[in-house]
Amino acid sequence: MNLKTAFLAFALMLIASPVFAADGTNWVAITSGFSMAIASGLCALGQGQAVAGAAEGIGRNPAAAGAIRGVLILGLVLIESLALYALVIIFAKVV
Amino acid sequence: MEHHEILITRLFNDYLAGAGTAILDAVGLHAHNAARPWTNWMTMQILVAILIMLFFAVLKSRLSMDRPGKIQMTLEAIYRFILSESEGNVPHHAHKYAAFFGSLFIFILVSNLIGIIPGLESPTMFPYVPVGLAVAAFLYYNIVGVQAQGLFKYLKHLAGPIPMLAPLMVPIEIISNLARPLSLSIRLYANMYAGEQVTLLFLALTYFIMPSMFMGLHVFVAFLQAYVFMLLTMLYVGGAVAHEDH
Repeated sequence: MNLKTAFLAFALMLIASPVFAADGTNWVAITSGFSMAIASGLCALGQGQAVAGAAEGIGRNPAAAGAIRGVLILGLVLIESLALYALVIIFAKVV
Repeated sequence: MEHHEILITRLFNDYLAGAGTAILDAVGLHAHNAARPWTNWMTMQILVAILIMLFFAVLKSRLSMDRPGKIQMTLEAIYRFILSESEGNVPHHAHKYAAFFGSLFIFILVSNLIGIIPGLESPTMFPYVPVGLAVAAFLYYNIVGVQAQGLFKYLKHLAGPIPMLAPLMVPIEIISNLARPLSLSIRLYANMYAGEQVTLLFLALTYFIMPSMFMGLHVFVAFLQAYVFMLLTMLYVGGAVAHEDH
């Protein structure tokens, strides 16, 4: 997720045609790059903690692996969706 | 939003434009392009619904207790999965709600996956379809909650457990309830739209391997997002029908 969105942010900054402003720098594009990078970084930190907690839980109690895996998947998807909200704004406003 | 029409939409617009305008007029909406009212997502939704219904109709004629075929066993496994998830989240009478959850899951799953086929598009890639599904889920869990507990008792839940805190809790609860369909819709739309855009982006940059890896990720995300939409709806229904005395 991290590498993918880093690639995407970089590619967007190169490819995205500006909606705006023949004069001056395209602040919308620059800001969107930074916002996506920040969103992805924090999302990755959160997901790393979720996976760490899940792995430790399975290590301590392998019999509960099914339930822990369910909670892990749900948590990862919910955290991921927060980073995607930033991506949606970028696609709506920049590209 | 792009306006490139796929084949199905072009057929609908060429032959059924009058029907499309009539349907839109019946609900008071106007088409973006008056001469060609059908959009990609409308026709793709209809196609998905027809495919699912055809599939189950054909399956129903082949149901057998003694010698079930592979498809029947697969779908029975899916049904057991949905029922067990419902019972995990909705404490009582889960079977009453399992039909809605199953419909959501299968419709969203097929809608997400049908975009992989070249020439067809996922209806969930357009913001209107996930918003429609989220509004349906929102109405469903509220109506089911009112049915299970009565209107006054259901609204009393908004006040929270301690009566003294009610003026603080009611706005918070209302806002969090309204945020649920918002987050459901944006989550589904963003995942599908971003998956497609990322695949197209990499297709513009390079050839087979990287874009196909992202398409594989998109397929995995399609399954996951359908499951999560269903799971969150189950959680909301479970919260809506829960009785505090348990």
